[in-house]
Amino acid sequence: MSKKATDSQLSPANRGLIAVIPMGKPESDVLHVVADSLQGILRLPVDVREPIPMPEETFLASRNQYNAMAIIKYLDVNYADSALKILGVTAKDIANPILTHVFGEAYMDGRTAVMSSFRLGRNPGGKPVSREQFLDRVVKVAIHEIGHTFNIPHCQQGRCVMRASNSLIELDDKLNYLCSYCELFLSEALTAALKKPDREMRRTESA
Amino acid sequence: MGRKNRFMVVDDELIVRESLAAWLEKEQAVVDRAESGEQALDFMEQNLYDILFVDIKMPGMGGFGLLERVKELFPTTVVVIITAYGTVDHAVKAMKLGADDFLVKPFDPEGLGLLVAKLLEYKKLLEEKQYLRGEMARCWGGPDEIIGQSRPMTELFEQIMEIAASESSVLILGETGTGKELIARAIHANSKRMGAPFVPINCGAIPESLMESEIFGYEKGSFTGAIRPKKGLIEVAEGGTLFLDEVGEISAKMQVDLLRVLQDKTFFRVGGVEPLMADFRLISATHQDLNREVAEGTFRQDFFYRINVITLRVPPLRERREDIPLLVKHFISTFARETNRDVDSVSDRATNILTEYDWPGNIRELENVVERAVVTSHKRVITDEAFAYLKPGEVCAQVETAPRSLQEAEIAHIKRILDEEDWNITRAAKILEVDRSTLHKKINRYGLQR
Repeated sequence: MSKKATDSQLSPANRGLIAVIPMGKPESDVLHVVADSLQGILRLPVDVREPIPMPEETFLASRNQYNAMAIIKYLDVNYADSALKILGVTAKDIANPILTHVFGEAYMDGRTAVMSSFRLGRNPGGKPVSREQFLDRVVKVAIHEIGHTFNIPHCQQGRCVMRASNSLIELDDKLNYLCSYCELFLSEALTAALKKPDREMRRTESA
Repeated sequence: MGRKNRFMVVDDELIVRESLAAWLEKEQAVVDRAESGEQALDFMEQNLYDILFVDIKMPGMGGFGLLERVKELFPTTVVVIITAYGTVDHAVKAMKLGADDFLVKPFDPEGLGLLVAKLLEYKKLLEEKQYLRGEMARCWGGPDEIIGQSRPMTELFEQIMEIAASESSVLILGETGTGKELIARAIHANSKRMGAPFVPINCGAIPESLMESEIFGYEKGSFTGAIRPKKGLIEVAEGGTLFLDEVGEISAKMQVDLLRVLQDKTFFRVGGVEPLMADFRLISATHQDLNREVAEGTFRQDFFYRINVITLRVPPLRERREDIPLLVKHFISTFARETNRDVDSVSDRATNILTEYDWPGNIRELENVVERAVVTSHKRVITDEAFAYLKPGEVCAQVETAPRSLQEAEIAHIKRILDEEDWNITRAAKILEVDRSTLHKKINRYGLQR
């Protein structure tokens, strides 16, 4: 993992291809496991950027939640020229206009994803889970959402991390890594993404 | 991997379309977005959709208007109504109009996941049901399975389709051998009762003494030999169709008994004291002139009116001669396959003979004639010689001497070949395409002599 650095300290050439952006005040161990797991899975440098406050315009006052889709748009606009993929990480409760809550959100083949640790610390009955289990859930959500940004759909194979998980039980049931099929999809998507002309051009310019 | 599911989100709010579509796309589905009912219908002209998610409040036709149109035009497409204002009235209206589910925004993600899985399974069952209904219609012999392109037959097919859905009793009139049972099966196959049994009873073939217990069933001990209760054919036909063939043969007592069933919809097993409910549609058939029999007092008028709510007349073969080549082709292919013979057609001259003949025995007679010709043919094309005995002018002489049964035909044919070959068994067996030992056995069995 690259060292934590402010955006101003990093020249474009030295920035990691994957940017983890803390939003609000997520816990530091959450940020560490997210960055480590993404770097392990993607085998690409991952930067944890400077934390930013939750954007006010993404707050859904009537639901006391933040709009995950609006957060994605905010990050897309405000971090337009930085990383290959961006993952916003927050401890606030997030949802989207049609769902009561989401653990994370991403567009297929999009550039940005967002995840929340808000609902991962307790079981459905309200009982807190161990830190280990909590962080395991965090890792699964992070990999899952970043997987969608590489155009990997929900997986039907066994307990792959890309399997749909709409509840904590389903989230706990799956493993925290990709099945061999999704590994293959990811590898192809990564190759294609790294070959994109605009990316090469940016690298060349900065060099 | 199977085909991708295809969904459509119909909502005038962009944010709803985008968020629901984004969620569904992760399920490996193709998702289209429409901002109005009108646009959704345009999309439906281009693609087949598994599930539509439709918002109630939209400009134009609105969600309920779209729901009505979709259920009318694409009945197997599943429609989920979505709304931000979940009132009981809306939910009831949606269900009455045929919505498959009703969701209030925002949805619980776990519930949405389960709902999509359940609806896809339901859609699969709907499609399977539709497929099986089609297959069953084919098995039962729907109009498509009845051979005939002549005007009388196309009119008959139209009548069948018109009356199939009703519950009224049908009387099918037609000469013997015209295929009255096929018509009855076609009515059943296209009725709401198709999934239930079609029970044919040949009234002329069941002895009078057995008719009552066959039709109504009996209770244990109701007569000697009734060691256990037995369902009658009326019970077997529960929910389906009862077909009384040769209804003109039915006894006066049975007419009274059946009349009671048709009027009261209840009956008793022989020896039974509990009335049982009868739920069947009655189709009857006869080659007799029942009007005359009613006039002569040999057939009950009240029973006649009960069974004769709708009348269908099946034309004799001589009134639809243009169908004869089609029927011949069908029978040749059937019998060639059954008997493993290399026969595939009839010559033009043979076709002329078959078309000109009057067929007093109708299709059944034609079927027998073609079967005999296929069995005795040595060539791929059956020539006019095989049907010479049907020619006008030769009828009297030929009918007297022509073999009537398949066995008689076989005997005559073997004798003719043996005579032609001067009773040389080897040569005759070769022509007949059988072993010498088989030919010897047949000669002995039929007592053939030089």
